Amino acid sequence: MTAVINAPSPWKRRLNKITTYLSKPQNAILLALGIVLTVTTIWPAFSIVRDTVTIHKGTVDTRGAAEGQVYTTFNWTDMFAPSTNTAKKLATINLWTPLLNSVLLSIFACIGSIAYGGFFAYLVTRTNLKFKKYLSSIFIFPYIMPQWTLAVIWRNLFNSNAITKGADGLFASVLGVRMPLWWCQGMFPSAVVLALHYAPFAYILIGGIFRNMDANLEEAATILNTPRWKTFLRVTLPLVKPAILSTILLVFSSAMGSYPIPHYLKLSTLSTKYVELNVQRTGEASILAVIMMMFGIGILLVNQRTTSGRKNFTTVTGKSGQSTLVNLGIGKYILSGLYIITTLFTGIVPIILFAVETFLPNPGDYSFLTSGISGHMTTKWWVTAENVSENGMYGQKGMLFNETIWNAFGGTLLVAVCCALVAGTIGTLVGYCVSKNRRSKWAAYVNNMAFLPYLMPALAVGVAFAKFGSSVGIYNTFLLLILAGTVKYIPFASRSALNSMMQLSGEIEEAAIIQDIPWWKRMTRIIIPIQKSSIISGYLLPFMTCLRELTLFMLLCSQAKIITTLLDYFDEMGLYAFSSGINLILIIVILLFNALVNKLTGASIDSGIGGDSK
Amino acid sequence: MSRIELTHITKRWGGFYAVDDLDLVIEDNAFVTLLGPSGCGKTTTLRMIAGLETPTTGRITIDGVPVFDSDAGINVPANKRRVGFLFQNYALWPNMTVFQNIAFGLGNIKESGLSVTPEGEIVRNPDDGGAPRKLTKEEIKRIVDRVSAIVKIQPFMDRYPGELSGGQQQRVAIARTLAPGPKVLFMDEPLSNLDAKLRLEMRSELQRLHLTTGSTFVYVTHDQMEAMTLATRICLISNGVLQQYDAPLTVYNRPNNTFVADFVGNPAINFMNARGNQQADGSFALKLLDKYEAVFTPSESVKADEWYANAEKEIAAFEAKIRPAEKTNKDVPFNYPVHMVTDIADDRKPDKEDWALGVRPEFVHVCDDGPVEGEVFSAMPTGMETTVRIKVGNYLLTSVVFGGVTYRIGEKIRFRFSGNGATLFSRVNGRLVSTGQVEIK
Repeated sequence: MTAVINAPSPWKRRLNKITTYLSKPQNAILLALGIVLTVTTIWPAFSIVRDTVTIHKGTVDTRGAAEGQVYTTFNWTDMFAPSTNTAKKLATINLWTPLLNSVLLSIFACIGSIAYGGFFAYLVTRTNLKFKKYLSSIFIFPYIMPQWTLAVIWRNLFNSNAITKGADGLFASVLGVRMPLWWCQGMFPSAVVLALHYAPFAYILIGGIFRNMDANLEEAATILNTPRWKTFLRVTLPLVKPAILSTILLVFSSAMGSYPIPHYLKLSTLSTKYVELNVQRTGEASILAVIMMMFGIGILLVNQRTTSGRKNFTTVTGKSGQSTLVNLGIGKYILSGLYIITTLFTGIVPIILFAVETFLPNPGDYSFLTSGISGHMTTKWWVTAENVSENGMYGQKGMLFNETIWNAFGGTLLVAVCCALVAGTIGTLVGYCVSKNRRSKWAAYVNNMAFLPYLMPALAVGVAFAKFGSSVGIYNTFLLLILAGTVKYIPFASRSALNSMMQLSGEIEEAAIIQDIPWWKRMTRIIIPIQKSSIISGYLLPFMTCLRELTLFMLLCSQAKIITTLLDYFDEMGLYAFSSGINLILIIVILLFNALVNKLTGASIDSGIGGDSK
Repeated sequence: MSRIELTHITKRWGGFYAVDDLDLVIEDNAFVTLLGPSGCGKTTTLRMIAGLETPTTGRITIDGVPVFDSDAGINVPANKRRVGFLFQNYALWPNMTVFQNIAFGLGNIKESGLSVTPEGEIVRNPDDGGAPRKLTKEEIKRIVDRVSAIVKIQPFMDRYPGELSGGQQQRVAIARTLAPGPKVLFMDEPLSNLDAKLRLEMRSELQRLHLTTGSTFVYVTHDQMEAMTLATRICLISNGVLQQYDAPLTVYNRPNNTFVADFVGNPAINFMNARGNQQADGSFALKLLDKYEAVFTPSESVKADEWYANAEKEIAAFEAKIRPAEKTNKDVPFNYPVHMVTDIADDRKPDKEDWALGVRPEFVHVCDDGPVEGEVFSAMPTGMETTVRIKVGNYLLTSVVFGGVTYRIGEKIRFRFSGNGATLFSRVNGRLVSTGQVEIK
């Protein structure tokens, strides 16, 4: 019964090989995704680089060539090798100071968030701290809330007319305390606010390892009569080092690309400087974006080296018994008290302040505190139903009746839903396909391509898509926003999907393959039901992040298109009541969604990767 | 009929050869075990036959139909090979009940000439010309009922896998594999997650299953006992290279080389280093255990110089196939253990007068008139037999004595080598020269 086979032609053989390769769905999907992701990641990046060697408006005359006609190194030499004294000064202002500030800000934010969040993670998982449950849920509030929240709060608390000009903050108007300028603006408040915003990162990532760490590892040291501090330094700390490293990488790149915080707190960084320069000196601004991209790529390389190294321990050994908690003694009350107070300011106070702000007759007018509510509070910001210019409304209707606001809100929801659907689906597929092809170089490439935008400063991605959008004529469309959001958020989904798919033994699916069960049925009946919660996280994370995204979107559309850019617009106009009101609505919507999804599916934002990127 | 044939199958990951140039024929209705230490390439081999892994080069046919051929670029995916696969960790779908787990694959079958007997047996008659159809709900139920009766899991049909014990999960996995009626069944260490008692029980059930289903079984294990007891043929693999492919008792009694001799058998075979020449009468005069003179009488007629010439030719042929540099670990002869009280390293390179004599514990016969005297080093009675380790000079030999004999540690005892089941290997290349009888003078 031996079948006789004639030696096939080399072409036939090659064709056979290709069809065999593509007959596995994961290979076909991987190939398609690889091509799509390469285009959506490389093309925008390429647009920025091309921008730096093009002549733009404003330099047309000095260069003597028409816009976009000739390639030039002018932008680069002007920035890095200025020839005149004026140019030198400009280079300092436009390049070196912002670069230094950005790097310092990122470093301080890393140190701050790891110290604050990492210590909290240790307290919650390894000690007998009081009120753990309350503290650990309130602790991640800053991470759920829009990034500028704390910056605005800082401003509202500490600004004063005498020092910073503008309206008095709560401290000045109620207590009469005027904080010095360094406290109100610049590096210090920016670093503190960023650190507070990213501390939940550190808590989620480091806490995750602490929680899963086999207690036996520490007990083994205890049995050998090692002092506790030595156990901590020599055993515990090295084990959480990978988590600390990945926190550093994430916070560093996120802080570098952060726009709202340095913008509100008036620090000149690469991202704020980019926005400033973009209109008049596009080419040079693009150089700033390229620098940010370089940092992103650098971080990706470091990330790969650290995660593939020998010191990537398996801390989860399965048999983790009840670990003994460190007894803090009286400290458990003191420390939990301290954390209750700080989280009050980062979690509860913002919501209250935003709410109060929408009822103040004038920004910063807290007179109701001293002279009673009636007459010193107003509902006009909410309920004014017609266009009026008096009462400081600038011709806007009250928030409840303001079509611009609700349209923008609808726009945001549209973008968020679409991004979540597309990014979640692609990310899940990437996770699935990569876990099926662990050894393949192509799979590793696709995974990196999907992951790269995660470590790219949001502003750089925004810039790239702005250039890309104008060149293909979709600037200021929802399509562009959705595209940018999708590319930026695929990593959320691909990471959480990959992590959970890696846990799933390949045999679960092979058992179905052997029985000739088609691919879609394997996915819908076996893989997806088993991985339900992590897949939902993969959809949830892009959705939530999209709702409050400003940095990525602000260069891609007109200000009334989505809610966050509109918020920025009102803030610049001085309609603080409106910006506070929108903030309030956003925060409440996000918290509600988080609670709802958590209740319904058990998926939650902190069970995902812990990654946000504004 | 389901004959499986592997020709020149090689699986390589970078410079590492998991399976190297394997030729293997698995006859219809055979029960073949792939045996070897962990990491030797046996699971890889099984997965390549099932289609879950793609070989680097070579050719596999099932029933004469090529399912893989690197030269022709053929690679039939696992789902089209119509085989059953039982996974080591069962791979039950945790989101489905036992019934759903078994029925899920059945809902997918779409063939022409399909019928199900009232007892729940699938009958395939693809040439009857009818249109392809799916199984009805009742038919699926009949099949599930039949297979669940075979493995006795009817009471658990509505439970989820998480609610079953390891042994029950194992049975569900077997039922699921049996349900579509595969002609070939692959099993990857299916019993290794069970406790010792359950393992024995399942072992005998698998044997019955082989008989009742009439399918071809290919079974991977690292447990030589399991391989010995279950298989019709054992395929012993080490470092990705086939060592011996024979019936269990042949592997036990006539091992091809020192590796096979050492791997199969529990307690393990006794190895002794010996030195000497072949005599004119064909017997070998040997000196062993430091001071004893012995005569090994081969049971086959063998000429030492002819044998060496032949072996060298074969080794040269094997080495010619070896790809350069990458797998040096494979041409070093197996370093068989010689048990000693204090280990003394023997760095001398063996020559053609060096032999390794292997004597299984049951041929170390303890008797009062034995020519060799030793003392009891340790004794482990199990009731049915007693395993005694005997110290002779610096050497340790294991003997199995039947019946409940009690020995005192340090007690002097005498023994001789009985029967003609001794094996003589060359120390130069580790190969078997002959089986035979050994007598101490």
